[in-house]
Amino acid sequence: MKNKEILLGVLAGLIILALVYLLVSLAIIIVPPQEDNRWLASWFLETTYNSERKELWSASPEVVTSILWDYRGLDTVYETSVFFFAIIGGLMLVRSVKIDPSKLGVRGMSVISKTVTKIVLVSIPVVAVSVALHGHLTPGGGFQGGSIFAVASLLAIVALGVGFLYRRGWSKVRLLGFRTMGLIIISIVIMAVFITGLTIGATGYIMQNQWKPWAPIGYGYLINLGLLGNVLYSGSLIFLNIAEFLAVSAGLSLAFIIMALPREELIKGGDLE
Amino acid sequence: MIDFSAIIWGYIYMVTIGIIAMTIYGMATRPNIVKKLILLSILSDTGNLIAVMLGVHSGVIKPPVFPGISFTNHEEVGSDVLKEFSKSAVDPIPQVLVVTAIVIGLAVLVFLGYVSLLLYQKYGTLDVRLLEKKIKGEAK
Repeated sequence: MKNKEILLGVLAGLIILALVYLLVSLAIIIVPPQEDNRWLASWFLETTYNSERKELWSASPEVVTSILWDYRGLDTVYETSVFFFAIIGGLMLVRSVKIDPSKLGVRGMSVISKTVTKIVLVSIPVVAVSVALHGHLTPGGGFQGGSIFAVASLLAIVALGVGFLYRRGWSKVRLLGFRTMGLIIISIVIMAVFITGLTIGATGYIMQNQWKPWAPIGYGYLINLGLLGNVLYSGSLIFLNIAEFLAVSAGLSLAFIIMALPREELIKGGDLE
Repeated sequence: MIDFSAIIWGYIYMVTIGIIAMTIYGMATRPNIVKKLILLSILSDTGNLIAVMLGVHSGVIKPPVFPGISFTNHEEVGSDVLKEFSKSAVDPIPQVLVVTAIVIGLAVLVFLGYVSLLLYQKYGTLDVRLLEKKIKGEAK
């Protein structure tokens, strides 16, 4: 047994050495770091919010969100579907679980923890919504906001009991509905330009954000909201961020709620008998 | 004259690569599934850390967000200003890859969490050696 472990250790070390040799010899790792950005990084940094090159921009000062939802948007759509199917696959394992509210714990932790949690439970969702809505202006976005929101539900489950969330209407069907609604909004937003192009006879692409010289339809980037004046919303980015926020927060909350169910319910739901 | 920056960066890379080696070793040898999951998440986080470090360049670095833009304050910006900005901002592409990798890693972790939860509910253990025997029906 001991020899096997030593062999495995040596093997892991050899794999790592080969990896490091490859990374250093291909000049991917440079110690110390290079002086300037690579040209691809400079291209994105100089084009994303460049009003002199409106045929290539995405009208958002946040370069990461622009690449994530505009330049490389289809990749993010597939990534969202991977996340969706992972949670669906997890739920399949406990498919026939019936949540019985009378069996769910509502005792929770001590009074101090409960009070602190109730105070924090108001502020965490506010931060989450703010991070998601400002996704095209400041660091963050739909996924980050959704993850912050899921922390709030995890906190409620631990400190106040699963029954607390369930009594407030966080049922399995409703959360799955929110999750699916987010995905449907994403698919509508990414198909809208393409379908509009088909109907009026102009060129339009799937996942297109701003207009191009050869594809004149786009989402635009400014909207006049009366008192506020012109508001920057960066085309499809804000809609995709909101939809992703819905999808991720509902999906993760549902995953945590199902995981926190009592043991008998899970065994029954997973057909383990 | 000793180049301290090279020493510090070399040290950071060596530590991260050492963590990767340790997590691979641990995943192969630790019998508990929960420990394997913890090591898997440490491994993916360390990989993400290396990816983000590849985007750093020397000198003053700033996040890849053009400063001063908000919902209502949005003046048009030309190429000259953005060229200055791109000299100080970090490489955004590794960060984008890391966001994707974190989402996928989280999805995998949630799924594996469900599987190990049900394994524990059914067999009462998460030790892979015992699990193997129990699944074959040799131990009760």
